[in-house]
Amino acid sequence: MTSTVDQTSVTPVRKSVTVKAGGERAFEVFTQGIDTWWPRTHHIGKSPMKKAIIEGRAGGRCYSEQVDGTDCDWGEVLVWEPPRRFVMAWKITHQWGYEPDVKKASEVEVRFTPLEDGSTRVDLEHRYFERHGAGGAAMRTAVDSTGGWNDLLQLYAAQAAQG
Amino acid sequence: MGDATRRAILARLLDGPLPVGKLAGEFPVSRPAISQHLRILKQANLVMDRAEGTRRLYQLNPEGFDSLREYFEQFWNQILDAFKKAVEQPPTKEKSKS
Repeated sequence: MTSTVDQTSVTPVRKSVTVKAGGERAFEVFTQGIDTWWPRTHHIGKSPMKKAIIEGRAGGRCYSEQVDGTDCDWGEVLVWEPPRRFVMAWKITHQWGYEPDVKKASEVEVRFTPLEDGSTRVDLEHRYFERHGAGGAAMRTAVDSTGGWNDLLQLYAAQAAQG
Repeated sequence: MGDATRRAILARLLDGPLPVGKLAGEFPVSRPAISQHLRILKQANLVMDRAEGTRRLYQLNPEGFDSLREYFEQFWNQILDAFKKAVEQPPTKEKSKS
C-alpha cells in the first residue's frame, strides 16, 4: 500500500472508448503499434518525432526517436499484462520536460475489455497528478471566468459530438 | 480574451500543436496579425511555443487550464480518437496508410 500522503489528491481523468476490434488486436495496436497512430505533434523532443515506441515489458521504456537522431523518453511501463491491461508512468513535467524521478510522475492505466459483440472497451485512467508537485498546483493560474478554457472545452465537446 | 480570432486560434490548437505558417494559412488574416495574436496569447499564459528543428510550434500552455487535470481531459480525447481510427482500419498490415 502507498504510505500516507499529505498532498491533496486530484481526481483522475477517466476516458472510455469502444473500438470495433478484438481485445488482442486493440492491445497490440495501442502498444506495439503506437507508432502507427500516435499524433506526430505530441512529443517533447527538440526536433520532429520520427517514431514512437513502447517497450512491451515491465520496466520498458516509452520513448520517441527524433529526426535529429536523439531518443526522447517520456514514460516507463510499470505493469505489463497483455492483452488486458498495462500501466505506464507519465514522466513529463508540466512544462513538457522529462521527469526522471518516477515518484514525481503521474500514472496512466489502460484496460482492454472484450465485449460480446466482438468489440473492445478501452478504459484509460490518468491519475496521481498531485505527484507532479508544485508545478501541478501552481498551474491554477487565474484565467478569467468568462472566455477561459472551460468555455472552449465545451465548444470543442459540442463540435466533437457533431463529428 | 474577447477577440474572436484568438478564440478560434485556441480552439484550433485544441487539436494539437501547429507551426505559425499553418495557422496563418487557415485564418483570413495576415501572418503578422497571427503572430501578434499568438504573442498576446503567450503573454496570457494560454499558449506556449517551442522549437522543433527549424520551425516553431505553438501549443496550448497547461498553465492556461484550471489544472493539469483539465489539460489532460482534452489531451486524452485527441489521443483516443487517433487510436480508435487506427485500430478500426481494416487490418491490412500495420503500415497500411501511405
